[in-house]
Amino acid sequence: MSVWQALLLAVVIAPGVVFGALSLLWLLGWTASERVLTRITAATYTLAATGVAALLWHLAATNSFAMSLRMGDWFVVHGYEFPLVLQVDRLSLPFLALTVVLVGLIGQFSATYLHRDHGFLRFYLLLHLFAFGSLLLFSAGSFDLLVGGWELVGITSVLLIAFFQYRSEPVDSALRVFGVYRACDIGLLVAVFAMHHFAGTASMVGGPPVLTGGQATVVGLLLLLAASGKSAQVPFSGWLPRAMEGPTPSSAIFYGAISVHAGSYLLLRAQPILAESGWATAAVITIGALTALHGTIVGRACSDAKTSLAYASLAQLGVIYVEIGLGWTWLAVAHILGHAVSRTLQFLRAPSMLHDYHQMHAAAGGHLAQTGQHYESALPSRVQLWLYRHAMDRGHLDTILDRLVVFPLHSLSAVLGRVDQWGVQRQEPRRRQINRLTLPVRTAGQDGVIDA
Amino acid sequence: MPELAFPLLTAAIAAPLGVSWFARGNSRDLRLIGSGGCAAAALLLLEVLREVSVASGARLAEPLPGPAGAWLAADSLNSVVMVLYCLIALATLLLAPRRDTSALTVRWTLWVLSATLLAYAADHTVLLMAGWLASAIPFLIGPFTAPENWRPRVALLSSTLALLMGCLLMADTGFGIAALAGQGAGGTAAFACLILAVILRKGIFPAHAWVTDAAEGGPLLPMALLFNGHLGAFLLARVVVPVFPELAQGTFPLLSDLALFTAIYAAVRAVAEKRPRSLLALLALSQSAIILAGLESASAEGVTGALVHWLVVASATTGLFGILRLLEVRFGSELTKEGHLGLAQHTPRLAVFFAVCGLALVGLPGTLGFCSEDLLIHGTLESHPQLGLLLPLSTAINAVTLLRLFNRLFLGRLRTGITGIADAVPRERWVLAAIVLFVVVGGVLPKAVVTAQAHAAHVVAQGMERLEAMAGSGE
Repeated sequence: MSVWQALLLAVVIAPGVVFGALSLLWLLGWTASERVLTRITAATYTLAATGVAALLWHLAATNSFAMSLRMGDWFVVHGYEFPLVLQVDRLSLPFLALTVVLVGLIGQFSATYLHRDHGFLRFYLLLHLFAFGSLLLFSAGSFDLLVGGWELVGITSVLLIAFFQYRSEPVDSALRVFGVYRACDIGLLVAVFAMHHFAGTASMVGGPPVLTGGQATVVGLLLLLAASGKSAQVPFSGWLPRAMEGPTPSSAIFYGAISVHAGSYLLLRAQPILAESGWATAAVITIGALTALHGTIVGRACSDAKTSLAYASLAQLGVIYVEIGLGWTWLAVAHILGHAVSRTLQFLRAPSMLHDYHQMHAAAGGHLAQTGQHYESALPSRVQLWLYRHAMDRGHLDTILDRLVVFPLHSLSAVLGRVDQWGVQRQEPRRRQINRLTLPVRTAGQDGVIDA
Repeated sequence: MPELAFPLLTAAIAAPLGVSWFARGNSRDLRLIGSGGCAAAALLLLEVLREVSVASGARLAEPLPGPAGAWLAADSLNSVVMVLYCLIALATLLLAPRRDTSALTVRWTLWVLSATLLAYAADHTVLLMAGWLASAIPFLIGPFTAPENWRPRVALLSSTLALLMGCLLMADTGFGIAALAGQGAGGTAAFACLILAVILRKGIFPAHAWVTDAAEGGPLLPMALLFNGHLGAFLLARVVVPVFPELAQGTFPLLSDLALFTAIYAAVRAVAEKRPRSLLALLALSQSAIILAGLESASAEGVTGALVHWLVVASATTGLFGILRLLEVRFGSELTKEGHLGLAQHTPRLAVFFAVCGLALVGLPGTLGFCSEDLLIHGTLESHPQLGLLLPLSTAINAVTLLRLFNRLFLGRLRTGITGIADAVPRERWVLAAIVLFVVVGGVLPKAVVTAQAHAAHVVAQGMERLEAMAGSGE
């Protein structure tokens, strides 16, 4: 292992090590103070950013296109291997840089934003885990390993949406988001299997596996399903406004910058596969265009700042998908980087938006021009009204998913429950008969005694 | 057949049994002595595991003179699960709240341990039968019965009778399990009886409903110990596959489909379930049905994945059922009420343990569950391209259901009137930390576990190879 390969490994695992160490210490009873946490965070991402910069310099100086690090197999079962391969190339390096820089900045911002919050430690732990998942995702040298990073990003996203756990709305929203994520992740899992089945490998080093037309269509569409869930593309867009229940810094890093662009990264990685299939390419472009349209229409009827920004992100993500579908890879990468940085800034400024507005209003002498009524005013009033209703229900996407998936699943579950209870009298749980073996029951609510 | 250096299997089986019947003292002392018995059995079986590893996974017989010695054997298939089962029993004893650890409960828990170890170690159909029956006795007529729920008793009794019939039908050919390999002893009737025993004991559709009944009406931790024996899966791997390769060839696709159907059935059934015990039982049932699907996939990845998943399901569900019982003891009837309970406010460590065990069960990266799911998905999709899709689907639904349960128990606003609540006390914390450490370290460095289970899969594959050979020769 060369120094540069060791550096790559250190950059990727550093947040994971910090997460593991802080979690273990907490389980053992030691809770880090806010100051210690923020300093550890700052040191970690400063070093990581320096490491990424050094890797960038090394690749540029040696005129290399890519560098990979093979650490053997995670596990091997007969012919099936799970390779542990990291790689950096011109595609992954910008994403790695984006991740370490933005997570470091969010870490500093949150020190003030979440000062004295009960969940301060929890937020930082999840931020480190998210950074580890993202770095793993962007530096994975195989689709197998990418799945690991992908799932970690998903679960941290969900746990941060439920961050304000004392209210039921964030908790319910987190469950909804998790449901969409898990449903769409089936696409990624099956796609990875299909790559192994068709090509005998899911390695990304030197490009994704070579597939024929039909195979590429199957794999491409499965990857598109996974990417669409993560990037909130139509018809899965309904979760994005719900995800705004989380703290603003996490909204910024997840839904303005890194997490929502993970789907785009996956498609960029799989571009040669998509290029082999006209159907998959057409599907990417169509979904992207529909999402862009959906985002811009619904975003115009949103009444709160974060949701407006979420739909603005959605519109841009749709455009990025179209660019990927058309094969404009580097335009898409530039678009992602620019969009991520500017959107993060907007999210972080969102809590101060009214203050900013008042400042601008005063500076302009109370004469700020009205905005946002340019394109829709050209439409007939009946169409405007229809679009407004469409936007108010957020494109009816959640309603459609509820009616087609959620409600039937619940109904089926209830029917199965009744079938299972057929022939037996449903009874309330009998705890007393369990305790006939043991000591008398004392409940904590009655006398405050813990009988554990 | 090569032999073990000492009669370690007999000692390991006898240790908990001896403790259970000869130890005296109050319930606190008995818990300590019983834990010592479990730990001693685990240590003895670790030595068995070491000897089996040195022998490259070969079958090692017990060196006792006479028939008893020849009736027990260890190989890579049973040595790992025997150690695991001892540790699960130990965790069960240590995790149990004080009110659940009367002398009687401790004694019967150790009885279940000894009986299950006997079934695992048996190289003779009579001993297998005895272990199977003995492990079910406390749930049939003993203190762990659920008097109002008849289905668990009927399922356990029926599975025992089916196994008895199967063993009797095989008796004409012989009793030694290793010696019966490939002989198809007892023919189709014996095979059908054994499959029936597997389906009933494992809770495979349509014989699945007893699992929720048992969890809801019986004592939770002993029930979890019963589930985690996975004796149905063991019977399939130890007896059905090697003894009936020809019949298995035709039946496995159907059985595998049935197991996958059970996984998705239980997952869907859990979606609208509100009672925490039933919900957790359905999750355990769905995930453990996947073990059977993997074993029947007849692919190296699938079988290895199934055996790794066995370890994950057993350890994670022990943690989950344990935490649920601790919450029941702390919060009483509050736990069954609708809406969010917000318990994380007072029990943050229990919440974290619950989340990690649960996410390991549904295959979160960084846990051993991720590796087993990866192998299982590849194995089952390879052997059943259409129905194999049910596996990731059921896992996805289970993950959402698990998060729903977690949200309901731990998140939201804490109910008024709940005061004086303790988080995990040190005894509970160390046990749960050990479980979490196993699934996390096993997930980060899975090679040792996967390799050990790949050796065990080789034992199953030896039966499969006969099956493949017959398929290849067109028999």
